[in-house]
Amino acid sequence: MAMTNDPDAMGIGDTGYTIDDLSAYLDRGRTPAIAAIDTNAECQALLASMERVGAFGRELLAHDVAAQPAVDEGRIAALLATIGQEVRAGRDIPLTSPDPRATLSVTEGAVRELVRAAGDSVDGVVVGSCSLDGDVMAVGSPVRVALTISVVLNGPVRELAETVRQRVFTAVLAHTELSVEGIDVTVTDVHQPRRRLDEGSAS
Amino acid sequence: MSALEEAGDGILAQRAADGDATAFEVLVRRHGPYLRAFAIRLTGSIADADDAVQEALIAAWRQLSTLEDTSKVRAWMASIVARKGTDALRSRRPADELDDERPGDDDAGPERQAVASSRMDALSAVLASLPEGQRQCWVLKEMGGYTYEEIADRLDLTPATVRGKLARARVTVVKEMEAWR
Repeated sequence: MAMTNDPDAMGIGDTGYTIDDLSAYLDRGRTPAIAAIDTNAECQALLASMERVGAFGRELLAHDVAAQPAVDEGRIAALLATIGQEVRAGRDIPLTSPDPRATLSVTEGAVRELVRAAGDSVDGVVVGSCSLDGDVMAVGSPVRVALTISVVLNGPVRELAETVRQRVFTAVLAHTELSVEGIDVTVTDVHQPRRRLDEGSAS
Repeated sequence: MSALEEAGDGILAQRAADGDATAFEVLVRRHGPYLRAFAIRLTGSIADADDAVQEALIAAWRQLSTLEDTSKVRAWMASIVARKGTDALRSRRPADELDDERPGDDDAGPERQAVASSRMDALSAVLASLPEGQRQCWVLKEMGGYTYEEIADRLDLTPATVRGKLARARVTVVKEMEAWR
């Protein structure tokens, strides 16, 4: 054994530093440097061992992850059933009704879904967030639609973003009465295509 | 769902925060194995781990809009798993109980090493033999990468106690793993 567990000893390698001190020193990234530890062979050996088994730990976790069985579909279904009850409807967006006795509205959540679907319909694009900025509950009030997208790696970024903008505009115009002042598309990410575009059907 | 499977974590997390359960499902399928493996090491129990992961995912869905850096969604979900996992352990027994006892005991070491067929098996056995509090500190630090303050917060301990438990765990692990260089 190259170490001592005796707290009354003179510390590891007679440095006066205990196992606790060394362990904490390791976690501080060995800064600020303590010369007595850095120049002591026994301390260095112990620090190296602690570091080595820490790396084994991460290796073990990676090994565990790889060895996990296929996801439990029952648990996924239960999870989706639970979260599905917590629909984020958001604000109610009014629609004019041909019948004055009835009030019609569409939820903000539904409009976001519409926007996502319109953006996703562009090959090589995945929509991220989507927000409706403005007083959507007041008919005729100007509203801006802001969305973030991820585009396929090496895709024509500008062209894809512009196509998204047009499709979202068309969809929102067709299905809501929002007076859309502008559509802001921000490319925040790129992604690798899982399969070649020519293998999938064009949208 | 195939296009979503190509998307990065950040985009999916943003989308899930907006209420898209399908995007959330893609994240769950992508990171579920990691979260489960981490939870099993933390709790030492498959049943507790599965419960912790399920509860954590429901909590994550509810709190997604509070996540600022969406690209770090896996680490964020893991921290919720850690919280749920440690809650489960706490409710089962007081945090400090048994900590200085060693269920595995030192003289079981060589036998364990002889039986272990690989370094991974050996480490697995050492971790299982650690007192619960020490194992949690070690797993949260070495596998989870959390700070002493974060670990202390999770386990309802002081950072000084975490420092001590972690050091003792490290000594045992180093000693037991000496044969596996």
